[in-house]
Amino acid sequence: MKRILLASAFALAGISALHAQETGIRVHYAIPTIWADTQQKLADAFMAKHPDVKVMIDGPAEGYEDGVQRLLRESVAGTAPDVAYVGLNLWRVLEDRGLAQPVDGFIGDDPLSQGYTPALLSLGRYGDKQYALATSASTLVMYVNPVLVEKAGGSMDAFPDTFDGIIELAAKIDALGDTTDGVWISPHDWRYQSLLGSFGGRQMNEDESDITFDSPEGIEAAGLYQRFAKEAGMKSYSENDARQAFPAGTLGIMFESSSLQTRFTEGAGDKFELTVKPLPVATQDKAKVYFPTGGSAIVMLAKDEAKQKAAWEYMAFVTGPEGQKIIVENTGYAPANAKVVEDSSYLGAFYEKNPNARVAHSQIANYAGPWYAFPGAEGVAATDLVAASLVEVTEGADPEATIKDLAETLRGMLGMK
Amino acid sequence: MRLSPDQRSALTSLWLAGPATLAMVVFIFLPVAIVAVLSFTDYQFGASSFNWSGLDNYIKLFTSSIGQRAITNTLLYVAIVIPFSVGFGLFVAIGLHQMSTWAPRLSNVMKTVYFLPVAATLVAMSVAWQMVLHPSLGIVNQSLAALGAAPQNWLSDRGLVLYTLAMIGIWQSIGYNMVLFLAGLAAIPSDLYDAAEVDGAGSGWSRFWTVTWPMLGPTTLFVMVVTATNAFRVFETVATMTKGGPAFASDTLVYALYREGFVYFKAGYASAITMVFFVFLLVLTLLQFRVVEKKVHYR
Repeated sequence: MKRILLASAFALAGISALHAQETGIRVHYAIPTIWADTQQKLADAFMAKHPDVKVMIDGPAEGYEDGVQRLLRESVAGTAPDVAYVGLNLWRVLEDRGLAQPVDGFIGDDPLSQGYTPALLSLGRYGDKQYALATSASTLVMYVNPVLVEKAGGSMDAFPDTFDGIIELAAKIDALGDTTDGVWISPHDWRYQSLLGSFGGRQMNEDESDITFDSPEGIEAAGLYQRFAKEAGMKSYSENDARQAFPAGTLGIMFESSSLQTRFTEGAGDKFELTVKPLPVATQDKAKVYFPTGGSAIVMLAKDEAKQKAAWEYMAFVTGPEGQKIIVENTGYAPANAKVVEDSSYLGAFYEKNPNARVAHSQIANYAGPWYAFPGAEGVAATDLVAASLVEVTEGADPEATIKDLAETLRGMLGMK
Repeated sequence: MRLSPDQRSALTSLWLAGPATLAMVVFIFLPVAIVAVLSFTDYQFGASSFNWSGLDNYIKLFTSSIGQRAITNTLLYVAIVIPFSVGFGLFVAIGLHQMSTWAPRLSNVMKTVYFLPVAATLVAMSVAWQMVLHPSLGIVNQSLAALGAAPQNWLSDRGLVLYTLAMIGIWQSIGYNMVLFLAGLAAIPSDLYDAAEVDGAGSGWSRFWTVTWPMLGPTTLFVMVVTATNAFRVFETVATMTKGGPAFASDTLVYALYREGFVYFKAGYASAITMVFFVFLLVLTLLQFRVVEKKVHYR
């Protein structure tokens, strides 16, 4: 009996000694409908390469907002995970509360050689510190239904690349019948920022001390909403309505996030061959163009040094070419690492099969810019006011007056006066 | 030690009521007190400190256009849902109660049909409604178009969206009210009707006004309180179908509470909304007890 006890005690000691060499890191992510399988694949691939680190995946949060909320709650309770995937527009919430740890020390002096271009780094940078690394990217593109375009007398080969051309084509598609619509874009902060970027405008100035979208560019971008409604008969669909209408084949052109491509392609099935077109560039000065990038970023929350080291190895893996390959192939998001795009040994075969994906991915490579989050406590609330103003403009309010009013309201709300 | 019978019964009462009281204090009164305190601060979810802000949160709720809209939207929603939901519930219950004498099977089937929306998950039903009300693919607009009427944007027209949501709210609660009224109807002794007939109340209307309606007094009070509380709490349909939009046209108190607290992380302001919501409910319930209790004559 004594011997058995002794043996089991030794065995236990042995197991715990084994554990001591292994560092465990806890990973948080959100949106299981897109990410569940991918996360498991990432963890497995990472652990195969780094047997000394054990990745434990927390139960996922329903969406990015829920996820951040949970991270805040857990950090109050002292049970926060070591790394977390958060929305590209939400990591600032964690930075604002001192939870996200800067990773400059880990990246080293030559980020470019690791595939982190300045454009990509800008997505997770605030002040002069790098708090987050993009893990997946999406950009606003046009989804086109070629069947409707051709019925309306348009051509896919000579598809318009100006907003005027698109409005003209959309009006023709809209005229096809009561149940067909020409064009739709959501009255939403991110979409508006994309249009604004196409005109060469910016949401805020460099040091984020003032709103700058009440410029002629911003008014023209908001005016597009009204032109879509007036000249091309855009309906006031809700997001869900539109996401049902497009795959059903009753909507000609839809401005949406490139991350929906897989879903739309499946939805369209045999009804039509879904085609992705890049967003028109409205300004002459191409250097000014930027398209805000949606998607997710990874942040380090661990404070313990050993954990931080293991967490960084994981972050470097998922943002490196191998991890990015897994993410692109499984989620439909664009990669956030230049190496994986440049070196065709990673995704060459994938692009061969998915020419639509290449459109979105090269748009990101050319024009990626940060998704401006308004600073401070009222930041998220401000984006809802932007959306509300866009609804008013769509329904006929004067774009100039509405956008100027909105900018003034936001300045007051965000303490910029 | 020997206890007197009085002491013993006091101990028993304490033993019986104590645990539940304790649980209530810890899980209900304490959190409410914390929320009440938070409502006077600018606390941000996850922040390590906060500042006292006095009545700022309340002033903001009642003076900002978004706050006012949430309040008026909620009041309007409640004002539409209560009369229609209670009225239709009573109407359907009387109809099915009568029907059960000559077609009991059919009456039972109808009861189940009316009760289905209550038993079904409102979130799932919202998705179904969204498809039914889809501006171009939905059956409602396609039928309207077939009949030559103008299709409507039920959920994305700012002037219409609140009424659409109220209609769904009524649809959802009729079944529940019907069941309560049916129970009330079944409890009315039939000899009262015989007595009424002897006294000259022969027509259906006079039977309803002299016997049914007064006897349903307590049920009506209960139904109105429950409907009002549920209507005030409207959230699922808003969250799944409109997210308070377009442009805050369907923002309600509870949705605003969720948005401010869990999307904007403004715990202090969300707490203030909670307190206002709480007071609204309390006032409404007290008012209904006052007004309707006078009519509940046999108490």
